[in-house]
Amino acid sequence: METYDLIVVGSGPGGYVAAERAGALGKKVLLIEKGFLGGVCTNWGCIPTKSLLHSAKQYKHALEGEKFGLEAQSVSYNLGTAMAWKQDTVETLRGGIGFLMKAANVQTLFGEAIFVDAHTVRVEGKEYKADFMIVATGSSPFVPPIPGSTMDHVLTSDEILSVEKLPESLVVIGGGVIGVEFASYFSMIGTKVTVIEMMDEILPMVDGDFAKMMRREMKDVDFKLGCKVEEITSEGVLYTDAKGKKQSLASSLVLMSVGRRPNVAGLENLKLDMGRGGVLVNDRLQTNVANVYAIGDVNGKSLLAHSASRMAEVAISNIFGSTKQRMRYNAIPWAVYSAPEAAGCGITERDAEKQGIAIKSKTVQMRSNGRFLAEHGKRAGGLVKVIASSDTNVILGVHLLGPYSSEMIWGAAAIIEAELRVQDVKEIVFPHPSVSELIKDACFALDHTL
Amino acid sequence: MAQQVVMPKQGNTVESCIIVEWNVKVGDQVAVGDILCSAETDKSTIDVESTAEGTVLALLFAEGDEAPVMESIAVIGEAGEKVEASAPADPKPSEVKEEAATEAKKAIPVVSDSPATQSAAGSSPRARALASSLGIPLSSLSATGPKGRIIERDVKSASSEPLTPAAIQAALAQGILAPKVGSGMGGRVLAGDLQKEQPASAPATAPVSPSAATVPEGTVTEIPVRGVRKVTARRMMESIHGTCQLTLHAFADATAMKRLRSGFKASNSELGLTNVTLNDLILFAVSRTLTQFPAFNAHFLGDKILRFSSVHLGMATDAPRGLLVPVIRDSQSLSLKAISVEVKRLVAKCKDGTATPEELSGSTFTVSNVGSFGIEAFTPVLNVPEVAILGVGTIVPKPVEAKDGSISFVPHIGLSLTMDHQAVDGADAARFLKALMENIASIDLLLAL
Repeated sequence: METYDLIVVGSGPGGYVAAERAGALGKKVLLIEKGFLGGVCTNWGCIPTKSLLHSAKQYKHALEGEKFGLEAQSVSYNLGTAMAWKQDTVETLRGGIGFLMKAANVQTLFGEAIFVDAHTVRVEGKEYKADFMIVATGSSPFVPPIPGSTMDHVLTSDEILSVEKLPESLVVIGGGVIGVEFASYFSMIGTKVTVIEMMDEILPMVDGDFAKMMRREMKDVDFKLGCKVEEITSEGVLYTDAKGKKQSLASSLVLMSVGRRPNVAGLENLKLDMGRGGVLVNDRLQTNVANVYAIGDVNGKSLLAHSASRMAEVAISNIFGSTKQRMRYNAIPWAVYSAPEAAGCGITERDAEKQGIAIKSKTVQMRSNGRFLAEHGKRAGGLVKVIASSDTNVILGVHLLGPYSSEMIWGAAAIIEAELRVQDVKEIVFPHPSVSELIKDACFALDHTL
Repeated sequence: MAQQVVMPKQGNTVESCIIVEWNVKVGDQVAVGDILCSAETDKSTIDVESTAEGTVLALLFAEGDEAPVMESIAVIGEAGEKVEASAPADPKPSEVKEEAATEAKKAIPVVSDSPATQSAAGSSPRARALASSLGIPLSSLSATGPKGRIIERDVKSASSEPLTPAAIQAALAQGILAPKVGSGMGGRVLAGDLQKEQPASAPATAPVSPSAATVPEGTVTEIPVRGVRKVTARRMMESIHGTCQLTLHAFADATAMKRLRSGFKASNSELGLTNVTLNDLILFAVSRTLTQFPAFNAHFLGDKILRFSSVHLGMATDAPRGLLVPVIRDSQSLSLKAISVEVKRLVAKCKDGTATPEELSGSTFTVSNVGSFGIEAFTPVLNVPEVAILGVGTIVPKPVEAKDGSISFVPHIGLSLTMDHQAVDGADAARFLKALMENIASIDLLLAL
């Protein structure tokens, strides 16, 4: 039987990073994947959606470019070409991960892994042993048991990425990040989109003012808030609205994006302690079985690709390197790549209220910024909010809505990790003109003194 | 540049480790991952690996010394490099006999007695400038300059990984000396790391020692309280002070248990049952009874009670270094034989000191068995935050009156259930104990389920 220093099950941004880091340390590593290298992120998540969203933004720009002096005739969107571009991107990145694994001397094995015990996995009848195991099996879209939810025209984020025909209408159930991104994409390319959200606001990780502006900016999308889907039929969706009235919506396609569930099949023999979100781990990503670590979506701590990659590094460090590293969750940025983009890092005002943290907060409008105004005009919406502790001035949260948000937000992560205070950020020089200057402006709005 | 190797953190409860043996000496070449020393935590023995490559320049603790976690224990660098005196002045083992109060003062830099050193006048301008940029309160430093002045060297010796701006502000405002390594990026000290330790303002409390008037005649041996003893002492006091303990005693008919035990003993050794003990049977019965009484498979946390679906059974174990409580995980789903095998494995690891912190934590209910010493009943102390603990006594014959009025002696095993009256009531405990008595009395039936 083959024995390894480490076996990693799942090759998403958690698993492949773990395998690569361990391989680079000279460890003998086996990476097991049941689908494609790269997991959901590369194949059905982050990457393909970015490809499609970018193509739609280009299209929309061409359509609305007249006010900037851009006059284009007979502009059209070719879904087939966009899908081909997306597929090429996915396959190139997938190949890149394969190359990375080779370069780090990581052995890859394709097949479904079943854990036999804490040191052994079985893949297609053959057993493999290792001193350490990393469970990086990810998560899958959750399909709630609503009548009709198994019909052919009800898709999850996995299947909707392969639609071949532009749907005339789309109902998105669930207004979280995934729902909002797909709503944004399909509305930009001409589909009539309705988002049905059970809560009274979309995007649970932002404060109300941001969610409201996001809805306003996504003017082609119809948002139904506080509504509960009762049944899906071949013609559309039946739901109860916020006032308790039965309503119906005709739709040729339905996207189910109400959440994700950890993939825990095959782990039964490990007898791992499980919590509501997934496998329970400590801040070193170790499970109750000492040599088994669980990273990424499967532990439910933070369902983001970059969280998984950081967890991979922390786990590998604790297994093969310094045991000093701990996973910190207070400065993990997130981004929504819709039009407009949104991104954030740290706490919201609502979080602060819930946790009883005394804060002060300032929100500035993006149109007060030179670059934003030059590129988007006076009417476009955009916000930057900075939240700081009212006792210590330490910056606890930064939230952005508008262009480049996803590219700027790492700065907020650095600010929060470094525990910089409002007065510290005021001393940083930001490039001009750039939308990022608004972060500094918000800090001055919090404290005008020099 | 010389690098310091710190005593690694071992779980959340371990505050310090005793250096058992150094594997290297000053002048030796070491690589990253080489074992520098073995150290004893309160629960197990660990190997401390080098996190740096080079020549061992200094070992900052002697064998037998207690090194706080995340504190530097060795300095590694290039041969001939000068070592910064950044380690705390640690008392040599031979000097420990001194008055306890002075010892405590030497071990950690505490507020100097001289008021002069606390004012700016008692420090050099260079020291003041460095201290304020590093976030080190002057009041937390020991002065080594002329006439008790704090000089730059004193500030440097107290410096640590960089403090974040917020941590500098908090350290200076609250007069707290920052830990050497924090929990932020690359070990940066965050504001939150300061709240945990406050050596600067904490008074040096002298360990309990008899006053002069009551010192008995003759030789006195002083034994420092540390390791397992220290943890046990602390946890027992926490338990007694923080809970409302009530113990119920009962005796369960042990006839079936004894019969089974004889059967196991005489069984074909290939079945692997010859070593199944009475204690294993009790643990089995407890694991099954607890699933019917979730209120007792729980933790009481003051504002909430956590009930667990899995029974992780703690088992008080008399190890050479003191009381250890290894944990049989998911005991409710283990067969009697599997429980027996796991118990033997854990006890062996406790006896030779190789049990890992993971194997010694996470229990949801604890069993303490002193039956082999002939104890009939006792009042076990709760393993907080658990809601209950079962004490198991010896087997004694009890007179039992049959229906026809005849008296016979039936073997009974003593059961003492201590429960936290904050979390459960006496009647609940009585019901649980009664069910356990019945399950033990008909353990052969329980095994068939």
